[in-house]
Amino acid sequence: MKKYISNSPDETKDIGFRLGKLLRIGDVVALYGQLGSGKTTMVKGIANAFGIEEREIVSASFTIITEYDSTPPFSHIDLYRIEKDSELDEIGFWEQLKGDDISVIEWAEKAERWLPDDVIKVRLRFTNNTVREIIIEGKNEKNWDNL
Amino acid sequence: MLILGIDTSCDDTSASVVEDGTKIISNIISNQTEIHKKYGGIVPELASRRHIEMIWPVVDEALNVAKVNLEDLSGIAVCYGPGLIGSLLVGCSFTKAICYSKRIPLVAVNHLEGHIFSSFLEEPSPSFPFLSLIVSGGHTCLYRVDGSGKYRELGRTRDDAAGEAYDKVSKLLGLGYPGGPAIDKLAQDGNPDAINFPRAYLPESFDFSFSGLKTAVLNYLKTAGVNSELQTSNSKLINDIAASFQAAVIDVLVRKTEWAIKKERVKQVVLTGGVAANSELRQKMREMGKEREVEIFIPPVSLCTDNAAMIAAAGYHHLKAGDIAGLDLNPKAYLLL
Repeated sequence: MKKYISNSPDETKDIGFRLGKLLRIGDVVALYGQLGSGKTTMVKGIANAFGIEEREIVSASFTIITEYDSTPPFSHIDLYRIEKDSELDEIGFWEQLKGDDISVIEWAEKAERWLPDDVIKVRLRFTNNTVREIIIEGKNEKNWDNL
Repeated sequence: MLILGIDTSCDDTSASVVEDGTKIISNIISNQTEIHKKYGGIVPELASRRHIEMIWPVVDEALNVAKVNLEDLSGIAVCYGPGLIGSLLVGCSFTKAICYSKRIPLVAVNHLEGHIFSSFLEEPSPSFPFLSLIVSGGHTCLYRVDGSGKYRELGRTRDDAAGEAYDKVSKLLGLGYPGGPAIDKLAQDGNPDAINFPRAYLPESFDFSFSGLKTAVLNYLKTAGVNSELQTSNSKLINDIAASFQAAVIDVLVRKTEWAIKKERVKQVVLTGGVAANSELRQKMREMGKEREVEIFIPPVSLCTDNAAMIAAAGYHHLKAGDIAGLDLNPKAYLLL
């Protein structure tokens, strides 16, 4: 488990970018944190590591799954609206996690039971209005010392 | 030229027959908000299932009201994105099957293009060039429109759509879904200057950002020690929060449109999308138009929110230009105009 402090959205993006650089095809990143904690901001940073411009990543609460034709392909999933398990099936959640892309999931607690064993978990917490505590756990932890 | 339009991009199943891209013969919408209210948002499972149940009845009704048969149609225009992929799939698959079996030309329409063309379904309609500001639960974008197919994106949201900010703040305040009407109503009795919520003007571009505003409301509620008892208390605090939040959203939308008018030197603006139903936004945009001597076009609420008439209207121009889609058409959740 590694703990980081972010003092601004730019720092959160930076941490996301460096985490993104360590990801491999098939990796799933689960993001946890309340509204406004910086989840989408973090996704902007992670996606940027795959050549996706920051501006292309917007809230996915509306479309729930947004796929990008990057190399490797990148999926931005936002389960904010999901209320029950059967809906995960409906949105094609299972096909999303079949391991041929990088998947980043916001509000991952809504699919907690179905996350792969080697999922990378990122928790964002408010320290105060601008500062966030970011805790990362999961595989390859030894690589994260220099995030 | 009669075109049947079909839209299943979000929570409503909609079908409409439009003549020559301007005259609505029928416009049927299965308003699903009643179902969705219970769940505090658009529930994808319900949306897709309801689309499957509703699409035949809604299309039948659109044809019946218009007193036309499938054989009378010059084409069927379907929205293929952006939107919820499961919902879009229903509309696209249905339309492809009908077009194939009845040998009717298939026309693919981008949902955002539909919103732009909603302004041609009522008189007076705008003339090119004009600016189009589309504000809804899924989109916040500003285009310069020089003609059919000639769109230049000036800006769009970098995070949350304006309507999404309304929905999320509504949830924070313990109000229902959709958030727009609930907040608009409370704001009528509130002081828009009570709380100085941040305005992200992003002066270097025409992009928008509403995510920080949502967080600012959350931080305000935490700092002020306010909880969800808010709406049952007698204080006017909830009205003030709603009014101040709404003022922050509208200030940015109106001010940035005003900047774009100056830069692009256009004389007409079309405001559309679900958030264009907001009374305060309509009024503030009209006031700005008056000041700048710019004509503001706002379609009636029924054409601002998602509807299939706008898809048929945009589809008419594609068909006229011979732009027919193949039966390999696939819906796309993420689709730029």
